[in-house]
Amino acid sequence: MKTIKRSIIHFSLSVLALLILTSGVKAQDAHNLLAKLDNIMFSPKDKQGKITIILISKTGKEKVREAEMFQKGRDKKLFRYTQPESQAGIATLSLPDGVMWLYMPAFGSPKKISLLAKSQAFTGTDFSYEDMATQPYAERFYPILVEIKEDAYVLELTPRTDKSSYSKVVVTQDKTNYFPIMMEYYDKGGRKFKEAIYQYEKIGNYWNAKEVIMRDLKKEHTTKILLTDIIFDQGLTDEFFTVDNLKPED
Amino acid sequence: MNKLAKFILRYRWVIIISVLLFTAFTGYQIKNMQINSDVISSLPDDDPDAVLLKKIAEQFGSSKMGMVILETDDIFKREILEHVQQITDTIRMMDGVISVTSLTNIIDIRGGDFGIEVGKLVDEYDLPSTEEELLALRERVFSKDLYKGGIVSEDGTATLIIFSLSEYADVRQVAKAVVKKTSAMKLPENLYYAGSPMMVTSIADLISADLTKLLPIAFLLIAVILASFFRTARGVILPLITVTIAIVWTLGIMVLTGFQMSMISNNIPIILLAVGSAYTIHVLNRINEMKDTDRRKAILRALIYIFIPVLLAAITTAIGFMSFIFGAYLEMIRDFGIFTSLGTFFAAFLSLFFTPALIAAFSIFRKKNIKQNKQAKRSLLTEYFLIPLKNLLIKHPKYTLTTWGALILISIIGIFLIKRSVDIQEYFKKDNPARTAENIMINKFGGSKPIFVVFRGDVQSPEVLNTIVKTSNYMKQSPDVLTTQSIAGLIMEINAALGEGKKIPDSQAKIEQLWWLLDGNEIMQTYVTEDLDEAIIISKFISPENKAKIEFAKYMETFIEENSSEACEIAITGMPFIDITMDRSLLRSQMGSLSIAIIMVIIFVGLILRSLKTGIFATIPIIAAIIMLFGVMGFSGIPLNIATVLVASVALGIGIDYSIHVISNVKHLMKTHNDDISHALEETIVISGKAIVINVISVSGGFLVLLFSEMVPLQYFGFLVALSMIGSGVGSLTLLPVILILDNRRMKKTKSSSS
Repeated sequence: MKTIKRSIIHFSLSVLALLILTSGVKAQDAHNLLAKLDNIMFSPKDKQGKITIILISKTGKEKVREAEMFQKGRDKKLFRYTQPESQAGIATLSLPDGVMWLYMPAFGSPKKISLLAKSQAFTGTDFSYEDMATQPYAERFYPILVEIKEDAYVLELTPRTDKSSYSKVVVTQDKTNYFPIMMEYYDKGGRKFKEAIYQYEKIGNYWNAKEVIMRDLKKEHTTKILLTDIIFDQGLTDEFFTVDNLKPED
Repeated sequence: MNKLAKFILRYRWVIIISVLLFTAFTGYQIKNMQINSDVISSLPDDDPDAVLLKKIAEQFGSSKMGMVILETDDIFKREILEHVQQITDTIRMMDGVISVTSLTNIIDIRGGDFGIEVGKLVDEYDLPSTEEELLALRERVFSKDLYKGGIVSEDGTATLIIFSLSEYADVRQVAKAVVKKTSAMKLPENLYYAGSPMMVTSIADLISADLTKLLPIAFLLIAVILASFFRTARGVILPLITVTIAIVWTLGIMVLTGFQMSMISNNIPIILLAVGSAYTIHVLNRINEMKDTDRRKAILRALIYIFIPVLLAAITTAIGFMSFIFGAYLEMIRDFGIFTSLGTFFAAFLSLFFTPALIAAFSIFRKKNIKQNKQAKRSLLTEYFLIPLKNLLIKHPKYTLTTWGALILISIIGIFLIKRSVDIQEYFKKDNPARTAENIMINKFGGSKPIFVVFRGDVQSPEVLNTIVKTSNYMKQSPDVLTTQSIAGLIMEINAALGEGKKIPDSQAKIEQLWWLLDGNEIMQTYVTEDLDEAIIISKFISPENKAKIEFAKYMETFIEENSSEACEIAITGMPFIDITMDRSLLRSQMGSLSIAIIMVIIFVGLILRSLKTGIFATIPIIAAIIMLFGVMGFSGIPLNIATVLVASVALGIGIDYSIHVISNVKHLMKTHNDDISHALEETIVISGKAIVINVISVSGGFLVLLFSEMVPLQYFGFLVALSMIGSGVGSLTLLPVILILDNRRMKKTKSSSS
């Protein structure tokens, strides 16, 4: 009798231990996976190329913007718009700590823009300022590995701060190369309302998102971002990312 | 006629089965009946104001915009802001809602030495709580048009949480969910709901509440009236079955032909119940009165006798309803005309075919004791009302005439006092939350009636934007316009934030680059079209007075004429403009439908009675009743509105039957009484009098049920029709006999003098 009891206890304990262990492993895995994702997204020293932003309205109408893009590290970005004609020459410079400078040729001198509302859409796209944050995912979210698929991991990210418009973000991550395949954004009511689909390609040593399609499911609005002519590690200096450099070189 | 009657009896089973089959078929359709409570969608396509309004409502999404009004003593308190945020977040997460704008998430662009700050009016994660923060917020709110009067009331005691529904959202479902979820929060502040989706939902609720509540009451009432006159089960059941089938057919066909239930057509069942049951009563009465003991023969003879009178009654009633088909401004009134007249014919058809077929098939035939009851009844009514009446009339015809003349004269004075009302507010009872919400919008947010000014041209050009600014300023000089919102206002705000001054930039290049900051912002869709070829000013009109609306229309007309150009075409529309047209059309459609109805009835009755003079005589009592109806409206302050405008023609159509009844009876009896009008009248008043009194009671009883309606115009409608029924009933029993007596005397005089 006693032995049976003991073996039951033993068994339960070992199951418990296993559960704790596996969840620990899972937690460990989740953190690892997210770190790898951050690594993919932010690993090049610098990159530059052409970015095409296509805004697709509910009725299917498209608006195309094109810009030259320069990025150094995680949080220095310079965009110089070339299309549409009327907005050509507009340039933005994003610096650390949410500082952004805007140059509009018709107005002359660059203006500093403080972006106070993170949930605000980024100039007409379906990306919010929160989505464009330069902070690594691992710093912003707490990950849990919820599913291991044949060719992908599924991570559930919970914001570490309550100052987020999301209750969670579900990331489907490529199993072999760790880049994101899809991100699903859930509102505070637990409902999915945005969805981003990524396409990565390998350029040199780096994986690069050549296409991102972000869809706002409520507004039925889509933003498609295409990155072309991308080159990495050209040795862009900090001097390049200055306010003076916003104006086109004559 | 004989053949037809025989046909009905021979093929009774075929008739019964086909009627039942068709009833099952049409009844099955009714489950697909849809309610259309959207007043804007009911506006006619031949009114340019209405067409433009419909187009704008769709294009700029204003028809999909609802709001929650939160009212308290002072908005600028931490806990109030928390509640606003709570409501904002709750609505934002609801299905069918695209976006929500409120005090706690509205965009704010500030400029200064530091550059531009693009953010929210308040930090949604750290709401203002100290006194200074709250004071700063108050100052900020009252410094901008977008906030003051737009989202916070002028006195700071109410704020709006504005939400947009998706194109495919089930408006009523979302509106209901908004009410349910926000009231479930049990906030200490007052919550009200306004905007097109909420209004449409409230009206739809009233329509279905009316249908489910009034119809049973009407049935019960008619049943009681029938029971008290017939004292038999079949006397109650047969008219009710017949009229129910007529209602089912009418509604089924409405669905089949793609019509929807409107706030006017929802009283079709009750009207048919009141009007249609009379036909079966006639048929039953006639069958009862046949002395034959052979059931078949009795039915046959009764049918031959009653067929034409019932058909005539149906035709005249339908004429009243049909008069709305011509010249009504609102489509729903036209639809109402079509389907009430159709229903009237159905009811008559069923009384003439289905009722006898049923009686023949199921041997439900008169029992011996009915007669006695009826006898008792007759003597009571006859004794105390009809006989004294008859004596009075014959002794003092001129007194009666003078009394009527005096009443009509007084009523004519009343006619000049009649008010008109097209204000949607007046649809709701005083304590209805929708009406309270409207009042708050008027008192605190500068009105609830939207005005839109459309500018066609290159929206990014300084010319168009400056024209918008000029128009806004001009509009705000009117006492009835408090605030305006437009893309131009937004551009000026940003331009100011950029340190360039609060004005429209002078070059198109600047504007186009400014646009970069605005592109994709949700608010843009409410101001400009996707192709940037049209922009609108959104504003509201305060006064509910028609005079103010007309003045404003004139005021804007001259401005638009002077400022509209090829590069920037200006057009204006909005509810105040629709109201003006509706108001004008109210009078026109009243005159139109009434004169059509009168002329058609005179011609028709003249043809039937083979004398135009008699046709005119027949219409005198009902015209007198209608004049008195208008007098009552004038003196009591009941306005002419989209429902009361229907009363006169409806009353004419139904009330004319009483006169026809009296005249044809008198004519018939004069033949048998050697042209002695006094004798003929005596008998007519006693015999027809009873039928008329029963009919007046049952018809007006049915219409009076509308007093329980949730919609004020329908209450008035019910009351006024009942009043006119009594008026025309009394008229045909007093005024008409007197006219006939006097005419007879005059004829005799001319006859004797000529001979």
